[in-house]
Amino acid sequence: MATSNIVESARKEGRSALTEIEAKQLLKKIGIDTTDIKLARTKKEAVDCAKGFGFPVVLKIVSPDILHKSDVGGVKLNLNSATEVGKAYSEILASARKHKPKAKIDGVSVQPMARPGTEVIIGMTKDAQFAPVLMFGLGGILVEVLKDVSFRIVPLVKRDAREMIHEIKGYPVLEGYRGQEPANIEVLENLLLKVSDYVDKHPEIKELDINPIFAYKDGALAVDARVILES
Amino acid sequence: MKDDSHRLHRAFNPRTVAVVGDKMALGYMWLRSLSHFRGKLYSVQIDPREFPGIAALGVPNYTSLLDIPDEIDYVIVAVPSRIAPQIIRDCVRKKVGAASLFTAGFAESGTDDGIELQRTIADIARDGRLNLIGPNCMGIHNPRLGLRHSPDQPYGDGGNAGFISQSGTHATFFSLVAPLNGVRVSKSVSYGNAAVLDSPDFLDYFDSDGETEAIGLYIEGVNDGRRLFDCLRDVAQRKPVLVWKGGETGEGSRATQSHTGSLAGSPKVWDALIRQCGAIKVASLDEMIDTMQILLNAKPITGNRVGLAAMTGGQSVVITDAFTAAGFDVPTLTEDSYRRFAPFFDTLGASYRNPLDVSLNFPHLDRIVQSLDILSRDVNIDAVVLEVSVPFMQHLTWLDASLLDRMVDELAQHKARSPKPFITIVVPAHAENEAIEIKKKLSSHSIPHFPSFQRGANALMKAITYWQRQAD
Repeated sequence: MATSNIVESARKEGRSALTEIEAKQLLKKIGIDTTDIKLARTKKEAVDCAKGFGFPVVLKIVSPDILHKSDVGGVKLNLNSATEVGKAYSEILASARKHKPKAKIDGVSVQPMARPGTEVIIGMTKDAQFAPVLMFGLGGILVEVLKDVSFRIVPLVKRDAREMIHEIKGYPVLEGYRGQEPANIEVLENLLLKVSDYVDKHPEIKELDINPIFAYKDGALAVDARVILES
Repeated sequence: MKDDSHRLHRAFNPRTVAVVGDKMALGYMWLRSLSHFRGKLYSVQIDPREFPGIAALGVPNYTSLLDIPDEIDYVIVAVPSRIAPQIIRDCVRKKVGAASLFTAGFAESGTDDGIELQRTIADIARDGRLNLIGPNCMGIHNPRLGLRHSPDQPYGDGGNAGFISQSGTHATFFSLVAPLNGVRVSKSVSYGNAAVLDSPDFLDYFDSDGETEAIGLYIEGVNDGRRLFDCLRDVAQRKPVLVWKGGETGEGSRATQSHTGSLAGSPKVWDALIRQCGAIKVASLDEMIDTMQILLNAKPITGNRVGLAAMTGGQSVVITDAFTAAGFDVPTLTEDSYRRFAPFFDTLGASYRNPLDVSLNFPHLDRIVQSLDILSRDVNIDAVVLEVSVPFMQHLTWLDASLLDRMVDELAQHKARSPKPFITIVVPAHAENEAIEIKKKLSSHSIPHFPSFQRGANALMKAITYWQRQAD
């Protein structure tokens, strides 16, 4: 399925947000590695998916009406057995129904637990004067508290991608501070360029967030993603 | 690229100028500003009470732009806003090179009437393919042609610094302050509300202008951000563009709304724009002029190792602190340099490590200049900085009145033969008036000078960062 089909099918259903599964399909289409992800509509499907991937896995609520999944108890991490997956499935559905009784629920997504890496984020928003703008930063507390992020206007050239990564104050963390695994900067540069190229050619994308991305010495993996369409 | 066929060439290089609506109540500021204009000047005014005043200035007056028996390259419109649409229509009919609308009371007023009136004049100009500058602006300054928007602006010789300003005050101040610092205007424009022509149009013109070697831009907002992005990225590849963004704070951005009707936008994104385009961000008029001094009057380098010479011991310490804090290295010199220094430093006991304390070499100018030559030839050094202490020089000129002039001449010769940037820091202490005289002498030889170590270090670093990126 081409990226345009993913966007089109969401639009047909009158949705302005892609589900996490759709968002990751879209990222894969544009050449960005993501964690594998499958939709499970029943508890049995969830357990079968988990066995297929191998443990540990992550379960998340899939609903077009729920954007902030953790807020409704819709995320369970590090599930190590079929029993844990089954229990998590029930808990997620119950909690989501309790918090958002009117939400349409498609099921849960099952994905393998990604190997931890240095967390980075890439975001795209549309500036009132300059239209699509990319943001890059370290994930977690650094971006939230210190606002240690850099911006560039789309389209980026290679130098822009390199400079916006080097520009953040937390850059030494990416180089592998105190024995931590360093991030592969070239992979992150290419990631920025892929996102830039895609949003430049697709004005129908209003916002795009890949948060977090786990950066490794030999690659990078998009662990969660959010895509909002223009109405 | 040089291009006399640019659509704004006629406006920036006019042979004929008409002022519509200048009057006694304005002190005839427009006609007086144009008293040294090297082309033909006309006035348009319908009020007979103004005729004697205009005649006294020796300017022929007409009651309509259309009656002037000559082609008009540039029109300054200073009529009340409600009459502006009619005059803009006349400008279209007269096929003038450009019209600059001084009149205020348009979108910047925030009123429905003002916004509507701006739309009206913009529509008339666009339909008529008129180059409309403003409204709410001071328009074009071309010193070489004596085309000015303020009677105190310089005229005669032109320079190589272009300035594009959304504010009239900053355009005026730039033209007044820059020459004191060895930077002279080629052309400048104040463009106010940008109803039709906006910053990218002017960037495009200054890019084409053969006289302009560096471009300053004071900007509060832009109509089409993407167009500015594309244009700035393109122009900055050929000429340094220094961007001073007004309204960077929430409060400041409220002010831009009422000043030029501009939406200021996110400061983070403006920063990104400037970096991404390879332009140079500056935060004030001083920083704009400081950085231009280096870009236009110093030799480009990409290294950050400075050789420092101060006139007293205390200053040699803090000049080092200031340059180090700005990101420079202050390395030790080669053994060869130390050998060259030894004969004349050792006997006097002053310090000749880097930084140098040259005080005890006075009044022997040859030794000072020799020190600078040694510094500039040292392979460990990329740029040379000399402190000129005004009180210290005053003591010496009391003994020898010609010392100052001779020193500046020697410094000019040093600058000419040195392959590296040479800048001076003129420290006035209490002697501000005397400092101005020294600065004028240095400016006349295009020797960059700064009033503090911090400002000199900051400007040099900005220029080096720019040259490094260009070389990359």
